[in-house]
Amino acid sequence: MNIPNIPRDLLTSVAPAIRRHSRSTETTLLAVVLVGCAGLAIASSGDFLSGNSVRTFLQYLATPVLIGLAQMVALCVGQLNLAVGALGGFTAAVMAVLMADAHLPMVVVVVAGLLIATLIGMLTGVFIVATRINGFIVTLATMTMLLGAQYRVVGTRTVDGYSSFLKDLGSAAPLNIPLVFLTAVATAALLALFMHRGIAGRRLLAAGGNPLAARLSGISTDRQIVLAHTLSGLLIGIAAVTATASLPGVNSSVGGDWLLPSFAAPIIGGVALTGGSVAVIGTVLAAFLMRLIDTARAQFSLDPSWVNFLIGVVVLGTVVGGRVRQSRVAAPLPAAAPLPAAGGAR
Amino acid sequence: MSTTTAPPAPPAPDATAETAGPSGRLPFWVNQQLGLFVLVIALAALFGLLRPAFFNAQFVLFPLLSDISTLTVVALAQMVVLSVGHMNLAVGRMASFGAMFAGLGYDRLHLPLILGLLLCLVAGTAIGALAGWVIARTGVSSFVVTLAMDFALLGLVSLLYTALTDNAAFTTTPSGMAELRSYSLADICAGPICGSNAIPQLGQFAVLALVGLGFLYRYTRTGRELLLTGANPAAAELSGIPTGRRIITAHALSGLLAALAGFMAAVSTGSFRASIGGEFMLPSFLGAVLGGTLLTGGVVSVLGALLGTSLVDVIRKGLDLLGVGLESLNIYLGGVLLLALSADRIRNVVSYRKVVRST
Repeated sequence: MNIPNIPRDLLTSVAPAIRRHSRSTETTLLAVVLVGCAGLAIASSGDFLSGNSVRTFLQYLATPVLIGLAQMVALCVGQLNLAVGALGGFTAAVMAVLMADAHLPMVVVVVAGLLIATLIGMLTGVFIVATRINGFIVTLATMTMLLGAQYRVVGTRTVDGYSSFLKDLGSAAPLNIPLVFLTAVATAALLALFMHRGIAGRRLLAAGGNPLAARLSGISTDRQIVLAHTLSGLLIGIAAVTATASLPGVNSSVGGDWLLPSFAAPIIGGVALTGGSVAVIGTVLAAFLMRLIDTARAQFSLDPSWVNFLIGVVVLGTVVGGRVRQSRVAAPLPAAAPLPAAGGAR
Repeated sequence: MSTTTAPPAPPAPDATAETAGPSGRLPFWVNQQLGLFVLVIALAALFGLLRPAFFNAQFVLFPLLSDISTLTVVALAQMVVLSVGHMNLAVGRMASFGAMFAGLGYDRLHLPLILGLLLCLVAGTAIGALAGWVIARTGVSSFVVTLAMDFALLGLVSLLYTALTDNAAFTTTPSGMAELRSYSLADICAGPICGSNAIPQLGQFAVLALVGLGFLYRYTRTGRELLLTGANPAAAELSGIPTGRRIITAHALSGLLAALAGFMAAVSTGSFRASIGGEFMLPSFLGAVLGGTLLTGGVVSVLGALLGTSLVDVIRKGLDLLGVGLESLNIYLGGVLLLALSADRIRNVVSYRKVVRST
């Protein structure tokens, strides 16, 4: 790659094209989501827009958004995090048990939960960097260990005797907008700010987009990998808090079905698996879309398996379509793709 | 049998180390297969000492070996795609997809045992080839494509089971299936003279797969081309290897093996249901990676897949007998994977340094 040789005016002419491209992924998603909402509203003869169903819709949207973002952060440095569901489930289990059995106050437990998740994420990152073992395998191993640990913490029971204040917070919904959803949106906004405006965020993207170039320009890719896994852990911790708050109880199956959606959201949202790009809005919209599919499924009382089938088809369609579009966009400017900072950080 | 190509040194110090031979004075533990073999035997002996019931042929060894057979085939299914530097996350779902066709054939068409198996293998090959075709055609990472495939098949298979059956399972079993499940080597030849009653008849499929793949990677042109495609796709393409076609081959083969594993799992549980293969993904990577197959492609170890799977299953069974809860086992298994790979990493660094010093 001869990135340093690209003239400055070429860079400035490429940037808008990239921005347009990334915007188009999100506008497409937005359009699909709006059409889907309208379709559902018509199909349910307006029921879908009533306060109660909006509330349920958003209530169970918070966790998918957060786990999608957690995966996205790992993807942006070119890593995968298979331990998303296991770490989330483990954290939720630990928090529930601490509250129900050890009777610790809720605030302490939530902070402890966030710390545990962040710390485990950081350890994963440190281990990957120290041993140079593929992140896929390391997180596969931590996933296995955490699944076992989660089972050891809660066993076969369902812990539901925890802080009613947290549950109240979980179901609280001023103006029919649940607090957990607001938490997720606020997190997404902060993350977007971090990725756009923060130097640390730009470094993450640079390290993911072109590790060699990043190293040559004085960015420690190792440190970025650790940071990405730490951040991913923190986001999973937040997801675990929202899940604990909005679920009726925590058992060993919490987090079991998080892994696939966590990949689906960023991939549909337009994040490249090779790293170097983030799409916060795209990921949020994709989570929205998946929730919409689930709601539509319930509306037409179809088998729950339809959701998985449709998500699989949508992801396949997105990657194939995205590749076709990308090759069309990138054809005249082959140097456009590997630009580290031009990954459409929106 | 460890089959390695000799790609340029830096990406796979492993391969060069093995060809370096005794001149490098490599430590004995450099041979991963030997190490694994010793470890499996030592662990089995240890568990046998602690719990003599571990050597009970009928109730412990027979199911253990059945499991090892099935999961070895699963690990091989993963190994084949790893050999071209890809992944197959849908390995479990391809297994259930294939098994569903076998069940359908037995239930609706009343096929004999062998034809159902054939149908199952064809279905698995087709779905694998489809995944490979999408990957080769679009150039999208195999991770994403097989992940999406996993989603789609997860939904599709349970939808079809609900649509086609009353209680979400095909329970019609052809004649010969019960025997296939419960017969050991002692049953198929004349009593305990020529075979132990601990070795399940199901093992024949695993042996067949092992021998077939060993032959493919060691002696055939296709096998070599698969490894070269994995080691360095650009170089392979430039030297005239149809890399796209080889990618499709690898995924089709993976689908075939996954379907075979699905059939074996269905035979050993006695019914064809959607949940078959649900827990295949982790063992598939554990077996292949512990056995010495590289995630980056270009290096496979067919025998290693058997040994890696055996190690995992022996630990699982042994700890189970020692009274460790089945779910808590996962903690140890994850630890074993990390430890083994860290050791592997140290091994690589050490042998790479030796090679560098000797040149």
